[in-house]
Amino acid sequence: MGKTIVEKIMAKAAGKPEVSPGDYLKFGIKDTYIQVGSDIGALNSREYERLGWDKFFDPKKVMIAPEHCGTWARQQDNVTNRESHRITKEWALSLGVPKENILDLGNVGTCHHLPIEKGWALPGNVYLHADTHCPTAGGVGCLGINLSAAEPAFLRLGWMWFRVPKSIKFNITGKLQDGVMGRDVFEYILGQIGPAGAVYQAMEFTGQVVEDMSLDGRLSMCCLSIFTGAKTGIVNPDQKVFDWFKTRTKVHYEPQYSDPDAVYAKTYTYDGSKIEPQIVVPPYRRTVQPVSSVEGTKITTAFIGSCASGRDEDLRIAARILKGKKIHPDVMFNVTPGSAETMLRTDKEGIISTLLEAGCLICAPSCSMCPGFYTPLAKNEVCIASSTTNVPGRMGEESAQVYLGSPATVAASALEGKIADPRKYL
Amino acid sequence: MALKFKGKVWVFGDNLDVDKEIIPFREREMGLMKDGNFGKWVMTPVDPEFPKKVKKGDIMVVGTNMGCGHGHQHANIGIKQAGISCVIAESFDRNFFKNSINLGLPIIELEGINKNVKAGDILEVDLEAGEIKNVTTKKTLKFTPLPDFLLEIMSAGGIEPYTDKLIAEGKI
Repeated sequence: MGKTIVEKIMAKAAGKPEVSPGDYLKFGIKDTYIQVGSDIGALNSREYERLGWDKFFDPKKVMIAPEHCGTWARQQDNVTNRESHRITKEWALSLGVPKENILDLGNVGTCHHLPIEKGWALPGNVYLHADTHCPTAGGVGCLGINLSAAEPAFLRLGWMWFRVPKSIKFNITGKLQDGVMGRDVFEYILGQIGPAGAVYQAMEFTGQVVEDMSLDGRLSMCCLSIFTGAKTGIVNPDQKVFDWFKTRTKVHYEPQYSDPDAVYAKTYTYDGSKIEPQIVVPPYRRTVQPVSSVEGTKITTAFIGSCASGRDEDLRIAARILKGKKIHPDVMFNVTPGSAETMLRTDKEGIISTLLEAGCLICAPSCSMCPGFYTPLAKNEVCIASSTTNVPGRMGEESAQVYLGSPATVAASALEGKIADPRKYL
Repeated sequence: MALKFKGKVWVFGDNLDVDKEIIPFREREMGLMKDGNFGKWVMTPVDPEFPKKVKKGDIMVVGTNMGCGHGHQHANIGIKQAGISCVIAESFDRNFFKNSINLGLPIIELEGINKNVKAGDILEVDLEAGEIKNVTTKKTLKFTPLPDFLLEIMSAGGIEPYTDKLIAEGKI
């Protein structure tokens, strides 16, 4: 009987000939790193101290990066984020982490942009991280699984337990309209299957739309997969993925693919050409509506960034919409490139200049507004964002309202000062 | 930690988000929980009096997709601190499931639990035997116990005390 890509990657990681949904496995990482964010690292170091632990499973496999806060002076437990970085760095060095494994601002970005750019999340491999959105790596055929609270123990053990999920296949046929993005496809699916539609299962995205989609679009869909209750999201890798990694890694990797007779818990087929831009309406992360139903809702703030967006394609489409225009005078539009690399590339393309000329604020690569780090929302503000979630208080004051949409929808809305359909600008 | 509990039932609904319903995100981000006591914030967005009403050993019975949203472990820690002995759900979000075991919060996944239990019922739970006795209705429900090694992690108090045990036994 055939196996899904998720089952094959998990079997390979656990060194087993094959695994099935419901199996419990223990495995770690091979030929790659466990990337530890500096802010979480400082908490980990305290946990290590409390427990009296004095070593990592393999210090050479630990990578340290300030990949959440950017330049924002977060004060968590009375420690600023630069101080967190110093604590994490000294702790890591004292436990034998090589100097070259410690990155700093200027060479980093949002947590899940990094492994894709640095070649740490490779097709057929496993990518583990303490943050919720590590399924992002599924966009390049890599299985991303969140360690969450288990990160300190993982650093000591070098393995963690996992349950093999069932997979659900999402077959998106046809061709997306211009201005409809990977993000809209995911939100559309969420609207169809609901927030518990894929509980503890893997979402596998396939079909013509996904084949035609850029890596940026696929990464965005996989990043958001958790909002259906899913364990992870993944796309079978193709030539686009291999081309991307050609200059980014010397590690030999073995891509995995779902067998044609793999077993799925369910298969859903949607016609991509009929998908409209989608909006998540506050206060719940689960209320998904087509943009037409909320068009005209006044906004005060707009945001493109976080692990759910902020990639080249996202900034490019915003620049396409805003070129030669000014955003609405009542709107503050924060655009945060996902990484230093994206910032450099989009700068060379003239995208950053276009956005600045339109009146956007460009912030240092980081999570930025998504958890209310940079420019947190003031009382009663209304925001449209292409970041991860809109739970009250997530991006600032609890009375602020957050609508979620694609980067194209966010840019079009910033232009009009109210929620707008981006298709008319493309 | 024992694997048997007895307590009074509190019922909550489906799709409880760790940051929206279980532990309010903004208050945590503002540093109001710096004392590490998440227990006094548990479920306050739904019922502000809940942390005061809940008694040690009480049991939470919830619907589908328990603990959805981000994988923030404060939800699991808070529920445990509030005195809840066990969470029984129709289904769990993956992050919540994993964090519960790794932080030593007993959980049971049982489809149909809400049909058989109501708020205020007294339950007796045996995690190893896979049995829930509703003392109030005298009904017994069966569930598939977690595999032994997960029960071992859970009863050690979570993955960190479990790791400590492996270190003490010279296994790592």
